[in-house]
Amino acid sequence: MRPILAGLDTEYGFSVEGRGAEDQIDDAKALVRSFPGECFPFWDDRFEAPRNDLRGFRLERLSLDPDDAKFDVGRSHGPAFEVRSDRVLLNGARFYNDHGHPEYATPETWSLAEVALHDRAGDRVVVKSAAAFAAESGREVRVYKNNTDFHGASYGTHESYLVPRSIPLENLVNGLMPMLVARQVLCGAGKVGSEQGPRCDFQISQRADFFSEPLNAETLYRRPVFNTRDEPHADPAKWIRLHVICGESNLVATATRMKLALAKAALHLIESGDQPMWRLKDPVRTIKDVSRDPDGEGRIELEGCSWTTPRQVIESYVVPFLACIANSTDAYSIEMREQLSAAMGLLEARFTDPERFARSVDWAAKRALLTQYIAAEDTNWRDPALQALDLEYHRIDGEGLFHALLNMGAVDVDPSEADVLDRTANVREATRAKARSIAVTKFRDHLASASWGTLTFNTKLGEKTVTLPPERTYPDTLGQCATVEDFIMELERT
Amino acid sequence: MTIHADRTTRRMDPEPERKLGDDSGPSKPDVKKPGGPNELLKRMKRVDPDQAKKYRQRSGQ
Repeated sequence: MRPILAGLDTEYGFSVEGRGAEDQIDDAKALVRSFPGECFPFWDDRFEAPRNDLRGFRLERLSLDPDDAKFDVGRSHGPAFEVRSDRVLLNGARFYNDHGHPEYATPETWSLAEVALHDRAGDRVVVKSAAAFAAESGREVRVYKNNTDFHGASYGTHESYLVPRSIPLENLVNGLMPMLVARQVLCGAGKVGSEQGPRCDFQISQRADFFSEPLNAETLYRRPVFNTRDEPHADPAKWIRLHVICGESNLVATATRMKLALAKAALHLIESGDQPMWRLKDPVRTIKDVSRDPDGEGRIELEGCSWTTPRQVIESYVVPFLACIANSTDAYSIEMREQLSAAMGLLEARFTDPERFARSVDWAAKRALLTQYIAAEDTNWRDPALQALDLEYHRIDGEGLFHALLNMGAVDVDPSEADVLDRTANVREATRAKARSIAVTKFRDHLASASWGTLTFNTKLGEKTVTLPPERTYPDTLGQCATVEDFIMELERT
Repeated sequence: MTIHADRTTRRMDPEPERKLGDDSGPSKPDVKKPGGPNELLKRMKRVDPDQAKKYRQRSGQ
């Protein structure tokens, strides 16, 4: 089985004492630029094409949130590259200002454990940058790893999966959509209240309120359940980078791994033509319906006047996929087997062992905590303090409620601190991120720009761009090259 | 996990001193380990109940 290369990028929420959303682009820019570590500051955006659509056309423009547009009337933030303030870090990650949010995009990974480690390394990078920004500005800065401001503004946590272009788009959409709608019962971050539609006390997903289209390449407004943006960051004849935007920020590392394991299981089945044949009647309505049913099984309406549950949908992928890899002994399959077996256990535990379920699932951990608070304080879900505590769950500077639960042993253990710190500066898999990491660490003085798929160097013979095919492996020995010319030669030979 | 109400009125702990940034690279958050459920409830009661009301962000992707 060909492991699926994947990455995770997170737009962080943040607040700066005495400042507002109108200042957010300038503040995010300053926060990113405050990153105190070594980095390389030039991202090559020549290969970015956010308006290309997998359905074979190009959007004329990407819609902006009209409320946000009002903030910028009469204001200029400077040239785009200055505003973005790209930093390529020693670990090959990209850290930048995306639409007023500090965004950390992990290095590409094959392993579920690695993506969770790099995700946690991203938290460290953002918190450290925020602390440096606070020191420089003299203002208190708080960072939240969540996806909503409770007033109708959402920001994302996106997954990227490298899949073959040869898979028909129809198969990808029909094969993945049911999993995207169902997996929130294991991967939702949980939210007090609602921001669109009928009012509710608590829902499974932070993001479900914000989807209005089944398919679209828009991501800032009119968001889709299935994102059709076509920006492969690799040979477009061979690859699609499937950019999933309906996931959310997980604090429990188990949930981060689960989110990717479930999507990968679906993608493997789609690639082999073995995906379950669910046909959702209305994915947009259903993702909201499932989100708003934290007490029940959830109901997924199907074409033809029938329905099913998130559990049945998830099992319909996991059971055949586990059968496919039952005898596989490679590390990728073993890790997938462990994670997906855990998924089956959690689906069972949801109603039979809620405490066990809440150890691994963010929305359940948050809900259990807030339920206890309601009982202790004799209040209710409409109390504004509940949304304040929801936000506090996601605060990641050490004061947050998730960290409190983690330190009490009330949620699954986190990756080791030594491993997290290691990943802030290193790549431990032979993905193309290793080449980027070595370029930034060792040959930074020769580097002209970097991107997901290329490295451009200044050499004795002039500027030289090297492509980084994502399907290749990039060995540790690349780091032993003595000169940039040797490094380029080895990359071209890899 | 169970937290219990502690309705005795007590003076709130002073705000912890905030560590400012340095140039030593990313590090683990300075977590104050709660001593148990009552400590966690106290921590929750220290949260500004209006902080979500005041929290405004721009839309991201």
